[in-house]
Formats: sequence, structure tokens, C-alpha cells
Amino acid sequence: MIFLTLEHILTHISFSVVSIVIIIHFLTLLVNEFVGLYDSSEKGMLTTFFCLTGLLITRWIYSGHLPISDLYESLIFLSWIFSIIHMVPYFKKHKNYLSTITAPSTFFTQGFATWGLLTDMNQSKILVPALQSQWLIMHVSMMVSGYAALLCGSLLSAALLVITFRKVIRIVGKNNNLLNDSFPVDEIQYMMEKRNILKNTFFTSSRNYYRFQLIQQLDHWGFRILSIGFLFLTIGILSGAVWANEAWGSYWNWDPKETWAFITWTIFAIYFHTRTNKNLEGLNSAIVASIGFLIIWICYFGVNLLGIGLHSYGSFTLIS
Amino acid sequence: MGILNPTKPPCSSLFSTHFLKPTLLLNSKIVRLKPQIHTLYTTTNNNRSRLSVTIITCGKLKTSKEIKNKDKKASGKIILSDSAPPVVSEESGGGGGGGNGEKVPVKTGTGALGLLKRLPRKVLAVLSNLPLAIGEMFAIAVLMALGTLIDQGEAPQFYFQKFPEENPFLGFFTWKWVLTLGFDHMYSSPVFLGMLALLGVSLMACTYTTQIPLAKVARRWNYLHSADAIRKQEFSDNLPRASVQDLGVILMGAGYEVFLKGPSLYAFKGLAGRFSPIGVHLAMLLIMAGATLSATGSFRGSVTVPQGLNFVVGDVLGPSGFLSTPTEAFNTEVHVNKFYMDYYDGGDIKQFHTDLSLFDLNGKEVMRKTISVNDPLRYGGITVYQTDWSISALQGMLTLLMSREYQCLLVIYNPSSFMIKKGNLLGVRRPNSKLPIDIDGMTIIIEDAIGSSGLELKTDPGVPVVYAGFGALMLTTCLSYLSHSQIWALQDGTAVTVGGKTNRAKGEFQYEINLLLDKVPEIVESSLPKQSDVASG
Repeated sequence: MIFLTLEHILTHISFSVVSIVIIIHFLTLLVNEFVGLYDSSEKGMLTTFFCLTGLLITRWIYSGHLPISDLYESLIFLSWIFSIIHMVPYFKKHKNYLSTITAPSTFFTQGFATWGLLTDMNQSKILVPALQSQWLIMHVSMMVSGYAALLCGSLLSAALLVITFRKVIRIVGKNNNLLNDSFPVDEIQYMMEKRNILKNTFFTSSRNYYRFQLIQQLDHWGFRILSIGFLFLTIGILSGAVWANEAWGSYWNWDPKETWAFITWTIFAIYFHTRTNKNLEGLNSAIVASIGFLIIWICYFGVNLLGIGLHSYGSFTLIS
Repeated sequence: MGILNPTKPPCSSLFSTHFLKPTLLLNSKIVRLKPQIHTLYTTTNNNRSRLSVTIITCGKLKTSKEIKNKDKKASGKIILSDSAPPVVSEESGGGGGGGNGEKVPVKTGTGALGLLKRLPRKVLAVLSNLPLAIGEMFAIAVLMALGTLIDQGEAPQFYFQKFPEENPFLGFFTWKWVLTLGFDHMYSSPVFLGMLALLGVSLMACTYTTQIPLAKVARRWNYLHSADAIRKQEFSDNLPRASVQDLGVILMGAGYEVFLKGPSLYAFKGLAGRFSPIGVHLAMLLIMAGATLSATGSFRGSVTVPQGLNFVVGDVLGPSGFLSTPTEAFNTEVHVNKFYMDYYDGGDIKQFHTDLSLFDLNGKEVMRKTISVNDPLRYGGITVYQTDWSISALQGMLTLLMSREYQCLLVIYNPSSFMIKKGNLLGVRRPNSKLPIDIDGMTIIIEDAIGSSGLELKTDPGVPVVYAGFGALMLTTCLSYLSHSQIWALQDGTAVTVGGKTNRAKGEFQYEINLLLDKVPEIVESSLPKQSDVASG
């Protein structure tokens, strides 16, 4: 019981802190960039990170297995990974554009986990026989980390596309109708970043140069984070295959989830190949990465919602 | 610059040190040295030729960078030549293969033999075409997605209903498409397998015609002899009053392999990052080969055996391809000693177990193991998995339940509980609950459920190959994260022109290089007149 209470407290703290962080982000967007506010938002993310860590550990202790065995837990884990990705540049002391992606991502995944999936789903469940393996930790943590990094990277690419295609950006008013989605939030913040860059420089007239620089930065950071994500995804899929050879009798079963993970892998393989070619680099690769964003969600979520195949651990009654 | 560069005096003292036994070096054309070097500029003669000679000393080092990096074991080496090359060579290559040198050399054959040679080359060129490869990957992704959307392995009638001709999906997609293209069994359909084979061939062609030559070029370390070529690199900077040797030492400290030849410097790091894409491709090919072997050379079969009964492995296994050949182990007899389940406190099943004994032809027990899900039995290339279960008998008053007289219906509700019906539901019990059920005044207790264990057997010669491919793929994907950075520098009078490029971590590279360049000591004024004179002369 004490665990449950603790879990509730941690969930609520972390969620409200993320909400506050988002509000701060909006404030800096609408007013100007206050250094103090920025700092406090970073501290907020730190708090969120610790709360989520506490949450996962609590769940681990009272359920007796690593808390990534169903959708709710994997969502919490996903948002934990987002907060880690958020922290890395902060500790490395060079600010980049990732934080504008990761903070809302943490917010949305967590919000979805706690509200969207209702209460009966987040009750910790027992592990079905097929999941009782050492491979669970490696496979699922790698997959979820891979998803998180790939989502960040593909959002950066999407931002790149938006910035490239939008000639004039009017911040307030234009995006009001889209505020519910996670995309525009990120966009707006990008615009804001860009504006700040513009304001702080002497060459206010050379708008295009900074735009170009921003696009290059986005391209580069997108590429780096996608590389990491791809690495995690590869390890995740392969460890999953080895596990399947232990539990299901074959290393590859063409199970829908498996297949979609492979499709995701292929799409990002295409992304890396487009980058090797000078003619296709930049915009084309960004388009591929943005397609990848949708594919990841289908893989991570769509297949689970359909409840088909061997990976449907939500509605599980029979063995394997 | 000032803070990072506290050792101007030692530096200046360097230039006033005397020249030590140059003949030692003249004997060997190129010497590979340990990173400890002294750089000495001599201005002994009137002709003021500038010699850059490096001398190995075992004594103390005086440059600041060396002191800083003393603890680190610099893995780099410096290659020096004793001759004094011109400060700026007028090479007409315009970059000498630094930026543009990565083109694949194409030789053209001559005559009839050439024609024969040219044809495969053309085919290779087409196959290694990048857009084609991307198209193939995309096609495979689309086919796989279709495979998850269309229900697989159903009877033709199912597809007649689902994709009727009167109301085609998307206006054209009917059951004819599904059945002719074999999309009802997508992952073994000729279209899909053909696509995979094409991709495999493309992989090989690309590795052979593009990647390997590229890597060969990358491995060759080449100097750039003109400042213009260096300035053309993605990153370039100009350091006034610096020496290329100091830069070399600093780069070595940062883990670069450094090569020096007269005024030119070439340094690189992370060569593995350049080679690993080849490894990724080869690993993919290995996995494909393993999967082919699995598909053509494996046996598979499943059996449901009640507790206490036997079966022979060879009877269960059926070949899946033309390469499948049975082995000695197929004569093994498997005896199911016991099948049981573990339960959680709440009554849910925790794990399934089957206690198996293996007997060879002589009836000798060769192996005994309790298998469970996630813990299969392996013997002589055969793997036995726990995959299924069923209830073959209930111990207790089962006979009564089944007898006509009572007309009870036993329904296996799920593995952990039983419903007993007679007209209406009489009760639901778990086999381990030992709670009685009342049927027409009779009390029945289910004491135990006797299960049949559903076992799956397989032999798969492809698994070791595929696993090798998996290992290689993981390793090479990790290595692919490294970026291959190259740095060129040229001493141009007192200034050093530095240029560099990297294939992946472009932002970090720039940051790192800027940090490193800040560490390069500035040569103090006192030694400058000589230097500049030398350069101009």
C-alpha cells in the first residue's frame, strides 16, 4: 500500500513539474527569454527526472520485475528516457535544440500514460511465462530507448522541414488552432529560438544566413541523435530475435510488431543512405525521417492497439 | 589563447637549442617515432634553408602540451622525413585527393575481352546505384507493411470475401491481386523473396564497387600541399605564429594518428568509423545467408504429448526445404515424465514445465531436463520448446463427470480454471483450489489436472550463421557511430593553415578542433624574426 501511495505521489509531482516547465517554455516564448526562467525550467526537468526514476524504482520493487512489461510502464519508461536525453546536453553545458523537443515529449508521453490509458491499465500485472527471461530487460529497454531517440531525431527533422518551407513566421495567432498537438509546440519554440538568435546579433538583416545556420544545426543534431536511436533499435531488434529463438522457437516469426520494428529499421536505414548522397542530403533525408516518425508510432502503438500477434501483452490470456 | 598557452618560454628555448646529430636520421628515410619529439629549427647557414628535423630524445620534454598530456598515453605516431621540402609545393592537383580524391577509379577494358569485362561492370554499376537500393528498401518496407495489413495464411474464400471484385479496395485491389502475387503468404511470396534477393545482390555490388574503394582511399594518408586546398575543407582556420609540429603533438594528445612530412601534416582519427559500413553490409549479407540456410535446411514439428507417454523425434519433425537432411539424433525417443504448472498466489499461471527424458536407440537415457517457456532443451542440434498445453485428464471424480448419466459438461475455461456445466453453470474451479463442486448432490473435488504438454521441435542449421551476423551487425553498427575525422595542416611561413573534415560528428568536430587549436602555443616575438626571415628566404 505504501508503494502505491508513493507511486501516486511521484506520478503527480513529476507530471505537475513537467506542466510547469511547459508553462515556463510558453512564457519564454511569449515574453522574452529570461535566463532565470530558463534555469528554473532546467531544474524542473531535473526534478521530473528524479521523480520518474523514483517511480520506476518503486514499481520495480513492489512488482518484482523491471517495470517495462506493459504499455503503461513502457510509456513511463519512454518519458524517463526523454528526460535523460534532455539532461545530457544540459550537463555537457552546450545548449542545443534538443531540449525544446524533449520537454514537450516528456510531457505528452507522461500525460498520455497517466490520463489516456485510464486507471485499470496501470495496475502492475504479473509476468506471463514468455516474459520471464533475462532478455526482457535488454530487449525492451533498448527498444524503448531507440524509440525515444528516434522520435527526438525525427521531430528535429520535421522542424527542419517546417523551417525550410515556411517563409515568414508569425508566432502568435497563426498556431493557436494547432496548440493541442505536440508538433506546433516544438515549432513555435524553434521559431522563438531563431528569433532570439536574430535579436542577439548585429546582422539582423542577414536573416537568411541564420536561418541557414539553424537548418544546418537541426540537420546535424537530428542526424546524431538518429544514429544513436538506430543503434539502440538495432540492438533491441537483434536481442529480441535471440530471445524469440529461446521462447517462441524461431528467431524471426513475422509477428506484426516484429515486422513493424523491421520496417522502422528499414526506413531509418533509408535515411542514412540518403545522407551518403550529396544530392539527396538535407531535405530528402528530413522527409524520410519525418515519415519515420509516423512509422515509429504505428510500431510502438498501433500494433499494440490492434492487439494482434505475439507481442500483444495487454490482452493476454494464453501461453506464449 | 593566453590561458591555455602558458609555456611560451620553453617554446622559445626550443628554437635556441642546438642541432643534434642529424645524420642519425638521414640513414633511414622514414622513421616511425614514439610521440616524444623535439622540434628544432636551425638557421646556421647563410642560405637560410629551413630544416625541420625531429629528434628523438629520451630526456624531459619541454613543450606545454607534452606536459599536459604526459599522463595520457598518446597512441599516435609521427612520421617524418629528413629532407626539407619546399614550404609550399606548387602541386597542380588542387587538393591532391583530399576532397575529391575519393572517386572510384574506373578502368576501361579494351577489345573483346574488355567487352566481356565491361558487361558485368555495367550490371554492377546499375546494381550499386544508390537510388535503386533505396527503392528496394522502400519496396521491402511497403511489402512488409502490406503483409501485416492483409491477414496471412487464410483460405482463398477468406480473400474472396475480404477483397471482393465488386467493391475493390482503393479502386483496384481485389482478391486476384492478393492471390496472384502471393500476398496471402507475403513473407514467402516470390515477390517479397525476390525483392530481398535483389537487395542482397545490391548490397554485394555496393560493397564491392563503392565502399571498398572508398575505404582504400580513406586508409591512404595523403598530405595536402597547398594552403588553398586546405582552406577548401569543411573546417579551416589559420593560426598565425604557430608551428605545425606543436599542432601535431596536440593532435596526438587528442587521440589522433599524426603524420608529418616537412611542412605538411596529416592526422586522422576514428578510421573504424569509415570501415564499419562495410561491416554492416557484410553482417546483413551474413544474416541473409543464415536465414536462407534456415529456410532451406531446417526441420520443424510440434506435438502434444500427455504426461507419461513417448514419441520419437524423427516422427514429429518435417523437413522445410530441399537441404534438410535428418541426423542420427532423429532416432532419439522423448519421454514426457511430467507436465506441471506454477501458479502465482492470485491463481494465475506463472510458468509451464515439462520434465523430459531422452533415450537413444539402445534405450539408454542420454539426457534429462525440465524445460519451460524461455528455457528449451537442446540435444544434437534439436531444440525442444515448451509452447502449448492442454488438459488430458482430471484426477478426482472425472469419470463421473464424463459419464452420460450425469451429462455434465467440462469446459476448459483457461489454463488455470475449469467451468463445470450441467444445463447451467455449476461452478468454476482451479485445479489447485481443492474446493468441492456440488453436482446433483454429489461432491466432486478436482485434485489434479493431468496435462498434455505441447512441444515444438526444430533443427535449424542457420542459427549459428545468423547469430554470427547478429553479433557482427551490433558491433559494426556501434562502430558506425564513430566518425572518421581528418585534419590537414601546412606550415606557411610562421602561420599554419589548418583544415579538416569529418564524416559524421560535424558539430562536435568543429568544437573539438577549436579547443585543440586554442592549445597550440603561440611562438613568441623574440624567435620570430629568424623564423619569418627563413620563410621568406
